[in-house]
Amino acid sequence: MKGGFEVVYSTPDIIETHHEPIWEFPYVGLPPTILNSESNELFELVSDLMPKKTAPRSIFDGRDDELRNQSNNVDSEQGLSSMTLLMECAAAVSINNLGEAHRMLLELTQMASAHSLSCAERVIAYFAMAMSSRVINSWLGLCSPLIDHKMVHAAFQAFNNVSPFIKFAHFTSNQAIFEAFHRRHRVHIVDLDVMQGLQWPALFHILATRAEGPPLVTMTGLGSSMEILVETGKQLSNFAKRLRISFEFHPIAKKFGEIDITAIRLRRGETLAVHWLQHSLYDATGPDRNTLRHIEQLAPTIVTLVEQDVSINGGSFSDRFVNSLHYYSAIFDSLGAYLPADDPNRHCIEHSLLYREINNVLAVRGPARSGDEKFKQWRSELARNRYLQMVPMSSNSMAQAQLILNMFSPDYGYSLVRDDGTLGLGWKDTCLFTASAWTTTLNGSRLYEN
Amino acid sequence: MKLSSAKVSKESKGASPSHGGHHKNSLHLKHRSHHSILPLPPVDALEQWSSVTVDMYNSNNNNHNQQQQPQTSHTSTSRSSDYSAGGDGEPSGTGNKWASRLLKECARAISDKDSSKIHHLLWMLNELASPYGDCDQKLASYFLQALFCKATESGQRCFKTLTSVAEKSHSFDSARKLILKFQEVSPWTTFGHVAANGAILEALDGEPKLHIIDISNTLCTQWPTLLEALATRNDDTPHLKLTVVVTANIVRSVMKEISQRMEKFARLMGVPFEFNVISGLNHIGELTKEALGVLEDEAVAVNCIGALRRVDVGERAALIQMFRSLGPKVVTVVEEEADFSSTRHDFVKCFEECLRFYTLYFEMLDECFTATSNEKLMLERECSRSIVRVLACDNDQDKEGECERRERGSQWSERLKEVFSPVRFSDDVADDVKALLKRYKAGWALAQAHQNETGLYLTWKEEAVVWVSAWKP
Repeated sequence: MKGGFEVVYSTPDIIETHHEPIWEFPYVGLPPTILNSESNELFELVSDLMPKKTAPRSIFDGRDDELRNQSNNVDSEQGLSSMTLLMECAAAVSINNLGEAHRMLLELTQMASAHSLSCAERVIAYFAMAMSSRVINSWLGLCSPLIDHKMVHAAFQAFNNVSPFIKFAHFTSNQAIFEAFHRRHRVHIVDLDVMQGLQWPALFHILATRAEGPPLVTMTGLGSSMEILVETGKQLSNFAKRLRISFEFHPIAKKFGEIDITAIRLRRGETLAVHWLQHSLYDATGPDRNTLRHIEQLAPTIVTLVEQDVSINGGSFSDRFVNSLHYYSAIFDSLGAYLPADDPNRHCIEHSLLYREINNVLAVRGPARSGDEKFKQWRSELARNRYLQMVPMSSNSMAQAQLILNMFSPDYGYSLVRDDGTLGLGWKDTCLFTASAWTTTLNGSRLYEN
Repeated sequence: MKLSSAKVSKESKGASPSHGGHHKNSLHLKHRSHHSILPLPPVDALEQWSSVTVDMYNSNNNNHNQQQQPQTSHTSTSRSSDYSAGGDGEPSGTGNKWASRLLKECARAISDKDSSKIHHLLWMLNELASPYGDCDQKLASYFLQALFCKATESGQRCFKTLTSVAEKSHSFDSARKLILKFQEVSPWTTFGHVAANGAILEALDGEPKLHIIDISNTLCTQWPTLLEALATRNDDTPHLKLTVVVTANIVRSVMKEISQRMEKFARLMGVPFEFNVISGLNHIGELTKEALGVLEDEAVAVNCIGALRRVDVGERAALIQMFRSLGPKVVTVVEEEADFSSTRHDFVKCFEECLRFYTLYFEMLDECFTATSNEKLMLERECSRSIVRVLACDNDQDKEGECERRERGSQWSERLKEVFSPVRFSDDVADDVKALLKRYKAGWALAQAHQNETGLYLTWKEEAVVWVSAWKP
């Protein structure tokens, strides 16, 4: 599968052998009854979720209060019927009934507005859009994403400005990395998806003001566009120069899971940190098995990982749908609590960042469409791995996270959680991002060095 | 009739997605077996094609981008790194008119039955489109919808669904809010009202019994100013009978409320008033003199706002004749300046004209409304229904629901000249219109028709967008 294009099909032969057809479960030549049982599960789920006549039952088991509370000026009857229609669309899409899905989506996309005062309606509008996109690319047989990196970066920055999640990811990871670099003089950071490198100036700052002085810093940044990487490298170099930190930047315009590990130029004696802030915008790293293996081979002193707490890897469309609906509802709610309905930053974040994730999750991802081989959850996988062991997030990291939250009024619903060595930040009851750190065990050793 | 039975017709090679063919594929795809869809292009061609189109898109952008971008196109045609395929070829959101290019290419590809090109363009449009983005993204979104309906032969069904949803969520409040907001930020509709009212008042001056036949969906927003003018006339206030003809279901449902308000307003103004609504028609072509209840002693004015275009092309002459038979003192016609009529048998020409007009309209909406305006969204959605109607519904099935085949002022003039002669708008009326336009943001202007033409044009950024004219027998 080539680079940024995750093409579902190529020539007819390949369809038969490597790629499953556009079903949501692996095609194993089973008779239609298997289809039906999958759909029965979903329909049961949907009817459970449908509001009963007596008491409008909460969707998501009581965690939807924030959804309903946000419905300021929306007729609640219309709101409930949009949600019902949304679930029905999802059901149709999950069994690939494109005709029915298209018909319902025509209705749904007209009923919901992304400019609504109601967060729930915005979520519905974007989910409906993503499914419409999916219907079309299913029909076309092409689900290769076109990503506007500049728009995404701009939206990412806006998100960083109005919401604590990105800063949380940056500051807690930086703290863990800083601690791992204690008394080390040559360090190397591999950022699996560096984007614009927003995270690193803050780290440079604390490295520059170390008692023992700053280390020599090398950074390998991976990303999808060499042009953007080079620009990022320049910016970071300038920043490091101003802090008088010796800094080298190596760009690699490939996915980490697809490179030859020798492409990372490690020097003897360098302390290595591998960092990964995960997102769902696009596949940044390639097959997870390879990524993990590369990490093992590099035997880093510290691996900092920030994951989105949403289960969207592997499994069926309906799983991804329900999980992401809950997840993004929480994020939309958090934005709605903080910004007015017509705020242009809010629109930029919702439209150019969150919607792109939703679209990627629903219209592109999934093993049957993109051939993804993704772990359900990275930290579970790492916990099982014999070459790596967890480094609990220190109280300093916790303090960093708390500092960030203090920038937001305590009345808002952000929730910081420390759990089993990890740190999580969420909105009300829903944990959205979890930061964890890992180190190479004595079993592991760097397999090569330059 | 479920969409699942809609067929995507594809012949085995170079299929036209728009008309019937031998091999029909249900949209209800059970599985993609390679022999049931088009011959699939090999991977190389896909990327190469994408890079060509993205190049075109990007080179468009590079001229307009304010961000620093290197002049060399960053969609490398030499793919040294696999990864650059998805990355460097990224479209920039700040580009100009990429949607227009891609859409026109797609329309041509459909007309040429170049199925692989069609697929690639639809894919790109699908990736880039959004009804909540900038103008290009919106145009891409709504035109893509129409193209998709055309390709899957589901245009009629799609239109019906879109219309019925709009009707369901429509209420007097939402309609009123929408129209008033639009009139507040843009003279698109008020231009016609002011000019037409001026012509009507002049033509009916001194008459004691007036009958205005209003064929429009303006929810009577035109009439309060006219009523006021009648009330403040020097002579005795005439009796006004207003007969409103509505066909859009959306409007039908709110007319009761409207009639109450109009009657109340007329009482306030002290104008003797009678209000009738005619709504039993499927479409305006069915209108008859009898139904209108015109009496011998009435001075009649016929006021058509965006009405003539809703009549089936073949019935337009007859309708105009019917107007003549009413013996009116004046007929006022307001229409949007676009031609979806003479081009209706040429898909590409019609598409391009449609694109031209709606690009103008959407850009106008973007400038007049705020970015997150729900009213703007409603107006855009209304356009999307028209676009589907014009591009994806067969010509000959205009019996159900309304036509949307606009014609330009010059074309309407040709028709009206058969039966009426033009009335020049007086200088007073022109002054009123100019005063109106001053109340809005810059960009709007009044243009007189050229020599052989009649009427007045509203121009937006120097493009004629709305035409108003007055006629007498």
